Amino acid sequence: MKLDRRNFIKLMVGGAVGLQVTPLPWKITDDIAIWTQNWPWVPVPAEGAYDHEASVCSLCPGGCGIEVRKVDERAVKVEGREDYPINPGGLCPLGMGSLQLLYNEDIRFTGPMKRVGPRGAGVFQNISWDEALEILSGRVNVLRRDSRPEAVAAIDGNPVESTASLLIQRLMQTIGSPNYLRVPSFEDTDRMVNLLMQGVDGPVAYDLENADFILSFGCGLLEGWGAPGRILGLWGKWHDRENKRKPTVVQVESRASNTASKADQWVAAAPGTEAALALGIAHVIIKDGLYDREFIEQKTFGFHPWNAADWKEHQGFQGLVLSEYSPRKVQDITGVPAERIVSLARSFAKAKAPIAIWGKGKGDLNGSLYESMCVHSLNALVGNINKPGGVLVLDRLPLKQLPETPLDPIAEAGLKKTPVGAAAGEDSPFAANLLTRFNEALSAGGPSPVELLMVFGANPAFTMPDGGSMRRALKAVPFIVSFSPFRDETAFMADLVLPDHMAFEKWSEIIQPRGVQYPLYGLGKPVVKPLYQTQDAGETILKLARRLDKAAPEAFPWKTFEDIMAYRAEGLFEAGAGLVRYKPAQPPWSWKPFAEPAAGFKSSKDMWQKIKASGLWYQPLDHQRAAMTTFKTPSGQFEFYSTRLEMKLKDLNKAPSSDLVCMPHYAPSSPPSDSSRYPLAMVPYDMVNLVSSWLPNPPFLNKTLLPEQLLKDASYAEIHPDTAKAYGLKQDDLVQVESVAGEVRVRVCLFEGAMPGVVYLPFGLGHTAYDEFSRNKGVNPNDIIAAGADPLSGLPVWWKTPVQLNKV
Amino acid sequence: MGFIGSLIVGWVIFPMVLYSKQAQPMNFDHALHMDPERVFGIDGDTETERCLFCHAFRDDGTFAGIPKLENCTQCHDDPDMPLGESEEEQAFLNEYVADEKEIPWLSYYRQPDCVYFSHIAHVNMGQMECGVCHGDHGQSEILPPYEENRLTGYSRMIWGKRISGFKENTWDRMKMDDCAECHTEKGQEQNNACFVCHK
Ligand code: SF4
Repeated sequence: MKLDRRNFIKLMVGGAVGLQVTPLPWKITDDIAIWTQNWPWVPVPAEGAYDHEASVCSLCPGGCGIEVRKVDERAVKVEGREDYPINPGGLCPLGMGSLQLLYNEDIRFTGPMKRVGPRGAGVFQNISWDEALEILSGRVNVLRRDSRPEAVAAIDGNPVESTASLLIQRLMQTIGSPNYLRVPSFEDTDRMVNLLMQGVDGPVAYDLENADFILSFGCGLLEGWGAPGRILGLWGKWHDRENKRKPTVVQVESRASNTASKADQWVAAAPGTEAALALGIAHVIIKDGLYDREFIEQKTFGFHPWNAADWKEHQGFQGLVLSEYSPRKVQDITGVPAERIVSLARSFAKAKAPIAIWGKGKGDLNGSLYESMCVHSLNALVGNINKPGGVLVLDRLPLKQLPETPLDPIAEAGLKKTPVGAAAGEDSPFAANLLTRFNEALSAGGPSPVELLMVFGANPAFTMPDGGSMRRALKAVPFIVSFSPFRDETAFMADLVLPDHMAFEKWSEIIQPRGVQYPLYGLGKPVVKPLYQTQDAGETILKLARRLDKAAPEAFPWKTFEDIMAYRAEGLFEAGAGLVRYKPAQPPWSWKPFAEPAAGFKSSKDMWQKIKASGLWYQPLDHQRAAMTTFKTPSGQFEFYSTRLEMKLKDLNKAPSSDLVCMPHYAPSSPPSDSSRYPLAMVPYDMVNLVSSWLPNPPFLNKTLLPEQLLKDASYAEIHPDTAKAYGLKQDDLVQVESVAGEVRVRVCLFEGAMPGVVYLPFGLGHTAYDEFSRNKGVNPNDIIAAGADPLSGLPVWWKTPVQLNKV
Repeated sequence: MGFIGSLIVGWVIFPMVLYSKQAQPMNFDHALHMDPERVFGIDGDTETERCLFCHAFRDDGTFAGIPKLENCTQCHDDPDMPLGESEEEQAFLNEYVADEKEIPWLSYYRQPDCVYFSHIAHVNMGQMECGVCHGDHGQSEILPPYEENRLTGYSRMIWGKRISGFKENTWDRMKMDDCAECHTEKGQEQNNACFVCHK
C-alpha cells in the first residue's frame, strides 16, 4: 500500500479510533492521576510496627517529657507526654524538629575522625575509636610525663550538676590541670543571686503556677525562657477563657517581642537600665509603705541602717532606694514615665502573689548580677519568698557526691598552678576561671599556655558573645579535641573529633529543669539504637581515663557511665522521698496537702529501675515544705546587703570600696567605646523558632522564619522607622552594623516595635558550619558584641553593645 | 491497518511496556506452609486462621503484613539443620537465617500511601476471609513474579491482572471502586465516605 496523503489520514484515524477500544488511554489517564498523588520523591515512612517510647528531652535545660513514635526502629515523630509534670502534652519547636538532628549526616559526625583539611573547613578522615583514644591519651600522657599537665584545658557546656560535667571535672583533676572552664550561662547568675541573697547554692525556683502578677524583666516567656515546655503550656492555661484566675503579665523589654506584645502591659525601659526600673518600683513600694513589714522586719538583713562591729555606719537598702531611685530620677534613666512606675509598683505590691523574674530572652546566657539582685529584691519587699506564687528557696537535689578524686603527685602539683583564665579580686570574687579571660590570655600572642583543649557539650566558637575572641583563642591552641555530636563551628576547628551520641541515643539527665519550683530529676533514655559509630561522651571519658598512665586507677571505679548516674541517684533514695509517677490530677506545685505519701522503694536499685522506666523522680511541694524555710546566709536572713560577699572580699584583702558593692544597685554599663563613634545600641534577641544554643537548628525551623527575618542568605536588623529616617534608610536596605569588635552586614527591617536608637539582631543565625540550610544564613550578633565584664560576676555583658550603622 | 495496529499496541505491547517484571528474592510455597501436618501449631478451623499464623495482627491491632525473618526462624532456627530437602530452603538458610538478614520481599498488595486500610476491621469485625481479596494466593506453590507499574510504582495486582480492568471475582482488582462496591453490597455505604480511607 502506498503511503499517500489519503492513506496516511486513514491510518491515523484508524489508529486513533482503534486506540479508543483498547485499555491504553483509560489506563494511562488513571495511572497519571495516581502518579500525581504519589510522587515517588515525597518521603513516606516505611511500613512497620508502631511503637511509642516515653522519654525526656535533654536538648535544653527545660527537660520536657516526650513520647517518640516509632515505626520499627525508625523514630518518626516526637510528641509531648501527658504524664509528665513539666510540659503536659506540649513541646517547643526544637523538640518537634529534633529528629532532624538525629537523622542527618550533614550535621552529625558519624564516627571518630581526625582533621585532614585546614582548620575551620570541616574536612576530616575516619579513624577507629582505638586510634582516636590512643592519639588523645598519648598526648595527655606526654604532657603529664613532662610535668606539664596544666597545658591541658577543658571547656564544658554541660549543666552544672550533671554527671557528665562532674566526670569532666574529675578527668581534669586526675590529669592535674586547673584549666577547667565553663561556658557562661544563666546558671552562673542564678546561683550567685541565690548565694548572695539567700545563702543557698541551689537553682532559682519560681512558683509561676500560683502567681497572680508576673513582672518579667526581659524574660522571653514566649521565646523559650526557663523550661520552655512548662512556660508555653502555662501561658496557654493563663489565657484559657475558662481560667478565672488569670495572672497579670507585665513585660519590661525595649523591643516588642512576642512576649511583650501579648503581655497585659509592656514597659519599654531603655536597654541596660532595667535595674534602675526595679529600684524605682522598690522606691514607690517602700515610700507608700506597701512592703511586707513582717517579712522585712523578721526575715531580712540590710533593709534598715545599721552600725557594723567596727562602728561603720551602713545606710541600708531602704535609705539607698529612697535617696537614689525616685520615680523622676528613674524616668530620666529608663525613659519610663514616673507615673507609670508608680502605678506599676502599686499594682505589683497590691497583688496577692506577685513575682518578679529575671533572665533575658531565652535566659540561656548569663545576666547582669546586680540587675538580677535588684529584681529579686522586689520579691523580698513584697515578702513573696517561700510562699505560694513566689520565689522558693530550693536546695540542690540530694544527689550523692562522687568520692574525692585520688591524685598522684603530678596531678597535685599541676592543680596548684594558676589557671589560664584565672579571675581575680573584686571584679569576680566567686568565679575561679572565666572563659573570656582564658580567651584573652590565649589570643594575646606568644606561645599558647594550653597545648591540648577538649570541648564538651558546647560550641563556644559560635555562642560566645565576645566579638570572636573565642575563635581567635582556638586558633592559638595547637591541638583541639571536640566531643560534639555535631559538625559545629568549634568542631570544625578541632584536630580530633570523638563524637558523642545524639541525645536520643543515650541516657541523659535533667537535674532540676530551669526555674521549676519543686525538686525534679529527669532521665532521658535512648529511644533508638545508635545510628553511627558514635560513643557516649561519658563512656569515652572513662575509656580515656583508663589509658592515662600513672594516674590513680581508683579515680574511675565505675564500669559504665550509667553506673555513675545510678551511683549519684542513690542520694535520692537516701533522702527517703520522692515519687516516680505523675498524675495530672495531682500537680506537684499544688500547695494543698498531697494525697500520696512518698513512694517506698525497696532499694536504690529498685528506685533506679523505676526512674529509668518513667524518666522521672520528683517531690511535690507539700512533701518538702519543712525544707523550704531557712535562708543560709551568714545572717540567717534574706540579705539586701550581702555579708558573704563582704567577707569574701575581705578574705581577698579587697574590702568593698563602698556599700554599693554588696547591694543591689544600678550602674550604667561603661561601654568600652567612644559614644560619638557608636551612638546606637545593638541589642540581640531570641526567637522560639530558632535555636541559639550550642545545638544546630533543625532545618524545618528555617521554614518558619519570616522573609523580613531571613531572605535567602541575608538576615535583618530591626530598627525603628525614626532611626531609619535619621540614617536615610529604607526597608531592605543593606547596612553595616559596626562596633569596636567588628561589623556585620544585614538588611534593614523597619519595625514600630523597636526602640528608637536601638538595632536588634536575632541570635541563632550566621552559622559557618553544619549543612547548607544553616551555613552562611544571616549573621551572628556575637561577632560584634564587645564583651565587657559584668561587675562581680566577671561574665560577658552581651545585652547591649554600642554600634554605628553605615549604609552600604 | 491503523486500527489493527493500535489494537495490538493497546492490548499487547502497552501492558508489556507498562509493567516491569521482577522475581521474588526466593520462592515461598504457601500451600506447604498452610499444611497442619507439616507446620507445627498452624491448626485452625478456617483457612483465614491459618493465614494469620504468619500474617498476624500486632498487639495494637495493626496488621504485620509480610512476616519478618523472626517469624521464619521460629521454625527454621538452625542454618545447619534444614527442615525439608529443597535447595530453596538451604539457600534461604545460608543467605538469610545465617546472616540474620531480612528477606526483601516484594509486596503484591501494597495500596498507595494515601489509602488507609485496616485489616483487623475487615477480618475481625467484617468477618471476611482472606481469599475475598487475595484469592487463592494462600494455596499457591510458586510465587509469581512481581509486576510493577512503571508509572505509578504500584503492583499490578491493584489494577488487576487483566489489562481490560474487567473482573469476575472479588479478588481480581483492588481499586477504590472495588472497595466501594463491596461496602455497598454489604450495606456499609457510610464507609464510602472519602475520609474513611483517605485520612
Ligand atoms: S523545651 Fe527544651 S526540653 Fe522541651 S522539647 Fe524543647 S528543647 Fe526539649
